[in-house]
Amino acid sequence: MSDKMYQPLSLLYRWIQENNELVNKCKQRGGGDALSPDQNKPHLRWCSSEFHKLLKKIQGIPPLADYLQLELTVVYNVCLCSTAQSQFSEAELLLTQATERVLQMTGDAPVASDPPVFWRTVINSVGDTALNPCVLYLLCLQWAIWLSTCQLKIIQECQDELFSVFETLSTGVWDEGRSELREKSSDIPLLVMDPRRLIELLQICTIIAQGAESLSEGRSSEALSGLQTASSLPAPRTLIAYTHLLSGSCLAHMSCPQMALQCYRKALETDSRCVCALYQSMLIYRQLGNTQAEIQGLRLLHSTLMLPFATEPALADTRLLSPSLLLRSQSLSSLLSVPSALSVLHNLALKCVHHGRVSDGVEYYLDLLAVLHSEDQHGVHAEGPPLPSLPELYLQAGAALLMARRPADCMALCDEVITTTLELLPEKVVLAEPEEKCEAETRALCAEGDDRVAMLLWAGAAYLLQGHCHTQLKDWKQAVTHYTRCFNLLVKARFKKGSFQPQIPSADMVGKQGTDLCILQKLKGLSLAGRGISFTQTDQLREALRDLQLSMQAFPGVYLCTYRNPSLALCWTPRSCAAEYRNLVLHCQPREKQKKYTHINY
Amino acid sequence: MVPSCVNNRFKTCSVLPHIITRIISHLVYSVNSVSSVTYAVSLFFFFGAAAMEGRCAVETWAVGLSGTSCTPRVKFGLGTDVFFCTGSDEVYVFSTQERKLTAVLQFPDPVSDLVGSHDKQLLYVACRSGVYCVSLQFQLSRAPSSPADASSSLAELKIPSEFLVVAEEGVLSVLLVGSVFLTLSQTDTSWMLTLYKSSNYEMLSSFSLPLVSGVVHSDTEGQTAMRKRPVLICVHSNDATPPSSSEATLTDGHVRLESVLFKLLFGIDAALAKSPVILCGLPDGCLCFLPLRHPGSRLRVLRSLEQPVVFVGASVVMERGPGHAQCLVAVGELGKVVLIKTDKGGSEGGGNRTGFIEGCVPGPVMCGCVDKNCLYYSTGSDLLVLDLSEGLSRREGQEKDEETSRKTEAALRSPTSLNVCRVAALAEPTCNTAGEVQLLGLSVRGQLQRITLPAGREDARLSKEPSALVGRSVRDLLSAIGDVCERASVLKTAIKSKNQILRHLNQVLNISFLLIASASSEEHLPIQEKPIRCHGVTSWSRLLQKDSLNLTCVLDNPSPYILERGWTLSVAVFPLSYPPSAGGESSSTNFSFPFHNLHPGETLEVSLPLAAAGEASFPMTVSCSLIFSLASLLGEEAANLPGLQSSCISLPLNTLTVDWLHVLQVNSPIATHKKATSQSNNTTDTLQAFLRSRRIRCSGRGEGGGESASKPEREYSASIRVSSELLRDTLLLKSSDLDAHVQKWPPQNVGLSLLEWMLSEGPGGVTTGHQGDKIALSSSVVHAQGPDGHTVKLTAKEVNVEEGSAEKEESQTAVEVQVESSSIAAVCGLHHAVLRRVQTLLQRAPEKAASTKGVQSLGLRQVLQRAEHLLQQIQQSRISGAFGVGVSTGQMTRSLLSVYRELRENPLLIV
Repeated sequence: MSDKMYQPLSLLYRWIQENNELVNKCKQRGGGDALSPDQNKPHLRWCSSEFHKLLKKIQGIPPLADYLQLELTVVYNVCLCSTAQSQFSEAELLLTQATERVLQMTGDAPVASDPPVFWRTVINSVGDTALNPCVLYLLCLQWAIWLSTCQLKIIQECQDELFSVFETLSTGVWDEGRSELREKSSDIPLLVMDPRRLIELLQICTIIAQGAESLSEGRSSEALSGLQTASSLPAPRTLIAYTHLLSGSCLAHMSCPQMALQCYRKALETDSRCVCALYQSMLIYRQLGNTQAEIQGLRLLHSTLMLPFATEPALADTRLLSPSLLLRSQSLSSLLSVPSALSVLHNLALKCVHHGRVSDGVEYYLDLLAVLHSEDQHGVHAEGPPLPSLPELYLQAGAALLMARRPADCMALCDEVITTTLELLPEKVVLAEPEEKCEAETRALCAEGDDRVAMLLWAGAAYLLQGHCHTQLKDWKQAVTHYTRCFNLLVKARFKKGSFQPQIPSADMVGKQGTDLCILQKLKGLSLAGRGISFTQTDQLREALRDLQLSMQAFPGVYLCTYRNPSLALCWTPRSCAAEYRNLVLHCQPREKQKKYTHINY
Repeated sequence: MVPSCVNNRFKTCSVLPHIITRIISHLVYSVNSVSSVTYAVSLFFFFGAAAMEGRCAVETWAVGLSGTSCTPRVKFGLGTDVFFCTGSDEVYVFSTQERKLTAVLQFPDPVSDLVGSHDKQLLYVACRSGVYCVSLQFQLSRAPSSPADASSSLAELKIPSEFLVVAEEGVLSVLLVGSVFLTLSQTDTSWMLTLYKSSNYEMLSSFSLPLVSGVVHSDTEGQTAMRKRPVLICVHSNDATPPSSSEATLTDGHVRLESVLFKLLFGIDAALAKSPVILCGLPDGCLCFLPLRHPGSRLRVLRSLEQPVVFVGASVVMERGPGHAQCLVAVGELGKVVLIKTDKGGSEGGGNRTGFIEGCVPGPVMCGCVDKNCLYYSTGSDLLVLDLSEGLSRREGQEKDEETSRKTEAALRSPTSLNVCRVAALAEPTCNTAGEVQLLGLSVRGQLQRITLPAGREDARLSKEPSALVGRSVRDLLSAIGDVCERASVLKTAIKSKNQILRHLNQVLNISFLLIASASSEEHLPIQEKPIRCHGVTSWSRLLQKDSLNLTCVLDNPSPYILERGWTLSVAVFPLSYPPSAGGESSSTNFSFPFHNLHPGETLEVSLPLAAAGEASFPMTVSCSLIFSLASLLGEEAANLPGLQSSCISLPLNTLTVDWLHVLQVNSPIATHKKATSQSNNTTDTLQAFLRSRRIRCSGRGEGGGESASKPEREYSASIRVSSELLRDTLLLKSSDLDAHVQKWPPQNVGLSLLEWMLSEGPGGVTTGHQGDKIALSSSVVHAQGPDGHTVKLTAKEVNVEEGSAEKEESQTAVEVQVESSSIAAVCGLHHAVLRRVQTLLQRAPEKAASTKGVQSLGLRQVLQRAEHLLQQIQQSRISGAFGVGVSTGQMTRSLLSVYRELRENPLLIV
């Protein structure tokens, strides 16, 4: 009895014990409560450092066959922890050291650094001994590191070795041996992650990464075959969904939109959280011109994005090495990106208004504004196009409200814009030619100038919309007032071209559509036209004639404004305006007045 | 292998400077306060009442522990509470109503920032490891209230890690905005502003801004420097209606800014969304902002101060609406003051623009705060006030004046001193009912102070007091003088007692430095040169029919300093090695002897039992140290410094070793029998005693070389050979300058003299006291009894060492000391002891040029080969033992034992 107490425990046994305890702790914490990866970090760091210490101890003695198996197991555990923490170079260094020790043990000379040759030599030198599986596990880790660091070329080169590893490990030759030993599990060193799970994960991730790479390089058909075989592999749902999604993208590139839609549908069926599939199908509907389906898609996409983000219940064994760690290639992440919920909502609202579903559009706009004002909204970052600035959103919403015949609400929104901007408006604003804008001035000044121009245009547009509201309410006096305010504001802008003095802009200066100058002139034209029409209603025909003529000078083509679709204020064309006016305004006007102005139309 | 307790002693030694600094700062503070009072008194007599009026009243409320890891912080908390932290790991809660500290919250790490939530009565505290959230009411109710606490009602709470809500490392500043909780931390390359939901601490989003590296002072400060805290405030627009009435009154760290300036600075979007804007003043000089509720917003730089931002606030310079600040103020560490305000458009019709007015005030700015139109800031040596309205209103009035900017700068450059020094942190100013401005400050030393500014400083000087009041005021002043005198006399006696303590402390420090210097500089200092040292005498005594070994420790003080009250001699005794049955734990015994005064040249003798016979394992290490308790230094004042009670200085003296030779009970040939029989009376196991006595007698009879024949069982032996020449040189040299009776020795009987020397005296300050029966060794064979009762035999005889070599045949005489016993422990212990003695002999030996004569070359080679062989054997058995393969334990032990014995036999000649 007492002899046994004082007998020093065998080091090998003690190290195995230590390893197994660490592995259990690692798994326990990882498998327990569903912690986010961030919260799990300290624990992982701790595990990693403990494994490191153990490895240091083991590597203190020369490599002997007896315990090299233990050493390689610990190396596997250390490297897996390091990889999970994205410390790839560290893990790779450990792998190299470990394989060098293997070679030292077998007595083979160290070989060239060419990865395929190197690994082939190591595997051959180990032969069919008990060490073979351990070395293969390490190769798996090397594979994972290559994949995470996007070294797809090397993986391509080592394809043969990797597939042989896959076959050997998946057939489970050693599994019997291990399971036999499992009964007295204290004697065999445990692994933090089952290598079979790892290799399954690696295989599908490799195919996905390679597919994304080929797709971005334009080799769609090549990628397609690989992805379609991968879709039947055993893997987490998310990854299967990715294969379907990428297949769909390939098909879309090969101009088979219907087949692509089928693939996206499959991706969604596999993993309902695959919002990207929804987004991509929406894009295809847009491309096909199917507006109804596009709006439907946007609506679905928005409601999916608004769902509380549920953390994916990872498989017990893949928790340590998440697929997102292995799929880090630029091309894949660009394929998987989805715009933010707010951006989708804005798109949805705009689409509805543009395609005649004004009341829906208004509701979406109001939702959007409510979200923007809510306290829970905290500048969440998202990729994709940024939202337009807030005053523009207000104006768009106001226009939608006007179209939905809610002039009072529209006026309230416009009031908000006007009160915010008016205090800051300068006496004079200089519009510079876009080409040479940023050359003379510093960037900061330029941005400030831009800001001022934008503010002027916002305030002007808000007055214009208010004028429209009053027109709709048939309050012609108020309409005239607001149109006048709009015009008075707009004449503050001077145009500066080249080194000339700033001057009052005129219609012939407008070079390109869509520039600030163009918008300014359009607004001028519209406000004058609006005022002209209001004057006609109050029988001030002389003033009406003057305004309409001035309007023609300000922006030839904008004779008339539209009452129904002012949301398009910034992309109005003369033709659409005329059509709108004929259809709507003149329709509701008394007949004699309609006659009076028909000559203006053409 | 240094025993752990010795390690601990050295550790306590290293905290010594820290503790002493605390004591001194405590003393100096009180001395300062005395001098400031006397100064005030003298000022009063010189300048009369006018001088008193201009000063501001500083009232020290509480004292906290000052730390160095972070800038201190003081904040108004829930209700009438004030929170402050001084850079250590403690947060103090001070109740302004009760005028005392109500709670001390201790966190695991140094505290960098804190923020209180008013509605939920929570306190968020940022530490190095993350942010803790403490419900103060809950904590206070849970605090244990012992009767001692009840009188002081100070709750000391240790905050456990369960209260950690955000595990983000290195959080420097925190802020609470509605339901959002913000943290600002610094990584290697960037600033990270992270938003959390305050309900469940879920991370909402995170923003980063690259660090500007080339800022003033950044490179000179190492890692040890104080971490500067970025300023974090929240700016609301004044036309944004507060969502709830509770937020109508702005909490700490929130300011309301006039809407035009708000729009100009932070954009139309933020204004339209009614979004609060976070404004950060970073230690790299950047002033940046983030609209909180705007999609896709990011941290943008508003302005760079090019020096660490110390303070950002808003001030109502020209009051238009109720409490809407019109001007943002940012202050840099080197004194740059930036005012940000709206500029009305000039002649060119620019509309409203942002105007930046920069100025510079002298001195490093440590902290600052603003009220309606003044900026208060502390340079560490003074508290100053800067009137912002002066500069700004002038600018407002003389719109087109070219001189305006110059005047503004002039106004910014002429702050008024308030004569308060050492302010390290300021809370927001408040006005009391009398209209006086009150500031809450925290001094560099961790004192919470309320600073009351004289009301209407400028008006007071102009207005004349009505004559009716003069008489009364004189009476008041006289009584005030009386008060001050009384206070001064009390403080004078305090100074006297503190001087006494300081003198005492000086002695303690002298001794500490003496001992620390000698401990660190020369580890192998010969024992005689240690300034204060211990030596020991071992003796066997018989008490209650049981033999026990006593050690008398003598503390010697040859230093010029007195060891005064408060010192304790502590002696720790522990075996050098321990038997495996002890389970790997060394059992150490501590003895401490407090003493009063030990003047220079005096000695202190203490006696302590080492072990009863057969219990202890030798050799023993006796480590002596002097301990000084700081609590005894301060007397009853120690109660004022919490945590001091347990702190003491421990200074290691020397370490003595009591080895086998010290504890041998030498049997004189006649006494052998008697002792053996007498022992058999008192041992319980009579049979064993009988056997032992038999054995002793047997060996005694066979004295003279025949004992190998009569060996009843296996004897273990080990031997050491020392060159007789060396012995002659050292021992005789020694004897010549020692007492006379050694000189009687015939020079040829070196063996005998070696034995006698070894038994009588030892290295390292321990001697053997043989209690009268001074052994006169008749022969060179000594029989003795070890502490475990086994007999041992020591033989010293001269032998010739043959040195066979091809060229010359040479022989050298040597003394071979042989140790024999039936107990292997005894052999090992004695061998070790003898070797130690020989080592000291060697150190003592006079240098000789060619003493070795190149001898032993052949022997050396053989021995080397043998040693290599043995090494291999050891390694083999260790590796196989480690992996548990191959041999069994018994086998291994046996092989190791044989190796050991082989090493001990056939020794090399020591020359």
